[in-house]
Amino acid sequence: MSKAPLLGVGTALLAVGLVSYANVGQEGHEAEAGHGEHAPASDESPHAHAPHAISLDVPEDTWLLAPGEEWFEQQAELHPGRFTHDDSLFDGEGGWVDSQGVYELRYDEDEDYYSYWQHVSAAQLTRGRRDFVQFCSSCHGFQGDGYGRSGQYLRPAPRSFKQSNFKFTKTTADLPSDAALMRLIQRGLQGTPMYPWDLSEEQLTDIIQYIKSLSPEESGWRDQFAEIGGIVESSPDPWSGRRDEAITKGEEIYHGKANCYLCHPGYVTVERMREIRGDADNVQYRDMLSYPALKESDYDVLGKRQMIMPPDFTWHQVRSGTTVQDLFETIASGIKGTAMPQWKNALKDEEIWALAYYVKSLIEGYKNEPGNRAAFMAGLRGE
Amino acid sequence: MGDTTMGTDFEGWGARAGRLAARWGRTAWAGLLLASAAVAQGEVADRWGPNEPASTFGSRFDSLFWLITTLVSVSFLIVLVMLFLAVVRFRARPGSKAHYDRGNSLHDKRFTAVVSVTVFVVLDAWVLVIAMRDLREAHWKYPAADEPGVYEVEVLAQQWAWNFRTKGVDGEFGTADDIVTINELHIPEGRPIKFNLTSKDVIHSFFVPDMRVKRDLNPGAINMLWFQAAKTGTFDLFCAELCGYAHYMMGGEVYVLESDRFDAWEQEASRLAEIAYDAEDTEAHWAWDWKD
Repeated sequence: MSKAPLLGVGTALLAVGLVSYANVGQEGHEAEAGHGEHAPASDESPHAHAPHAISLDVPEDTWLLAPGEEWFEQQAELHPGRFTHDDSLFDGEGGWVDSQGVYELRYDEDEDYYSYWQHVSAAQLTRGRRDFVQFCSSCHGFQGDGYGRSGQYLRPAPRSFKQSNFKFTKTTADLPSDAALMRLIQRGLQGTPMYPWDLSEEQLTDIIQYIKSLSPEESGWRDQFAEIGGIVESSPDPWSGRRDEAITKGEEIYHGKANCYLCHPGYVTVERMREIRGDADNVQYRDMLSYPALKESDYDVLGKRQMIMPPDFTWHQVRSGTTVQDLFETIASGIKGTAMPQWKNALKDEEIWALAYYVKSLIEGYKNEPGNRAAFMAGLRGE
Repeated sequence: MGDTTMGTDFEGWGARAGRLAARWGRTAWAGLLLASAAVAQGEVADRWGPNEPASTFGSRFDSLFWLITTLVSVSFLIVLVMLFLAVVRFRARPGSKAHYDRGNSLHDKRFTAVVSVTVFVVLDAWVLVIAMRDLREAHWKYPAADEPGVYEVEVLAQQWAWNFRTKGVDGEFGTADDIVTINELHIPEGRPIKFNLTSKDVIHSFFVPDMRVKRDLNPGAINMLWFQAAKTGTFDLFCAELCGYAHYMMGGEVYVLESDRFDAWEQEASRLAEIAYDAEDTEAHWAWDWKD
């Protein structure tokens, strides 16, 4: 028996395979180049193109993003003499160039407004986009619109970076600084698939710049009026060593002055509520006082306004840290786009610390000890 | 001594063994010492085997595992002993000449055939029969749809998390009081738990080692799984199918609660789910029709 026919067939198959492989490569390349003209922030639907046609390259030369006035001034102070009015470098008021990029101060005559800008290179955004696609896009979407394949149906929904609306950035400004965003990504949001991401600082910096570039024009980090700030400053803990006192004080503020019980559950009996608030014996509080009340948020998914469940601290997992310090930051800065206001200047720092201690005691005493919780709740509800 | 320039005399078995022992002896002793220290520590030794099974049929799996381990170890030992005997008996020595044997004489062929058939019939068939029996009597013996007490769970996997949905107190999927959780599953002890498993994106695998269960979740298909927890506790859940960058982080906890505590938990979780339910947010209502 001759093996020649078999060999011939094999060779032919191999040839056909190679040719079609080469063709696929060619098509893929063309499609990519053709699509590359679109800016990543375009408003196209992520489903308009097959995934292989999505370009990973960010096309425009440089992007102007707002780093925040606070950061800008800090840098200018840290490195005196760096700021220059050199006309050959800057059209406007001036700026400086360093290894990270170009920073520029502009003046808008119509608005009589100084704005602070960072020129981010397309090369950096391309690096950021590549990492974004690998690590983030399954939930946040190829276009960063918060509607990735794995993020669908998920509640709370993954953030869209086109809405410039961030919940747990722990800043009192509208938008978080790079450092605040980096800490958020490194720590993750507990109880959600947003895990603590163990990426290098370089990767995270690139990803953060890319995320910022997804803001639609004239909004988010591409808005000259954007107010950008770091993580809210916490005063030294005034209750250090006086934990029990702090918890008692926190309970009073929670059910009294700060009215936390309007959205979160009330954790005391009605009698104790009246006592704390100094109300008359016939005063009633909201229905189902020991349960949270659903609240509207400013965040849309597929055009549907999202509702937010304020956590019951004895049941739900809080998202961004359970140390007293973490809780202080969350309460002080509030949760953007939700019914949770910023308490930083509405309450004294000492009172916010007391609230943090109180919430911490609820988590430790009941969330982490479900057996105790049942008895505690039954006591409140008179069951 | 005189002929060393012509090449060494053949080294005797004893001499060679002595030389090897000298070379490896110290390493071997260090290893032995380490191993006995580990055993003496106790805690290390406890972890050499898998955890005690926590499901009703888990011990079947373990028996099969130990049966296979024993059969394989014994066969391996027999082969080793025969090899050792052959090496000693037919070692090179002065006056004995090596010869090449193709091993295809009738005698050799018969011997090979008998050993192969015996090994296959005794070992493989034995394992196969027991495995099939276990599958039929346990793993594939799904509780009937109308069997009282069956607790049904819908599992929707994604990169890189587990979404669980249970019926809540009203006993129906797709209603306001469905309990939806991420990466944590609460189940009652002593009731059969039945799963419908599927995936949003890529293939994942639902693996709870303590329950001795593992099943793939395929996008576009609904797979099934069941087990019954035999003891309460918290058990780790893993994804056992490489599913992308954060596969290693894709885990969760299975909380097995005793019946009373579970009922209380379910009632509370259901009530909270009802409060959180947003009828207009239809995208979040991902329950599917239960498949038995």
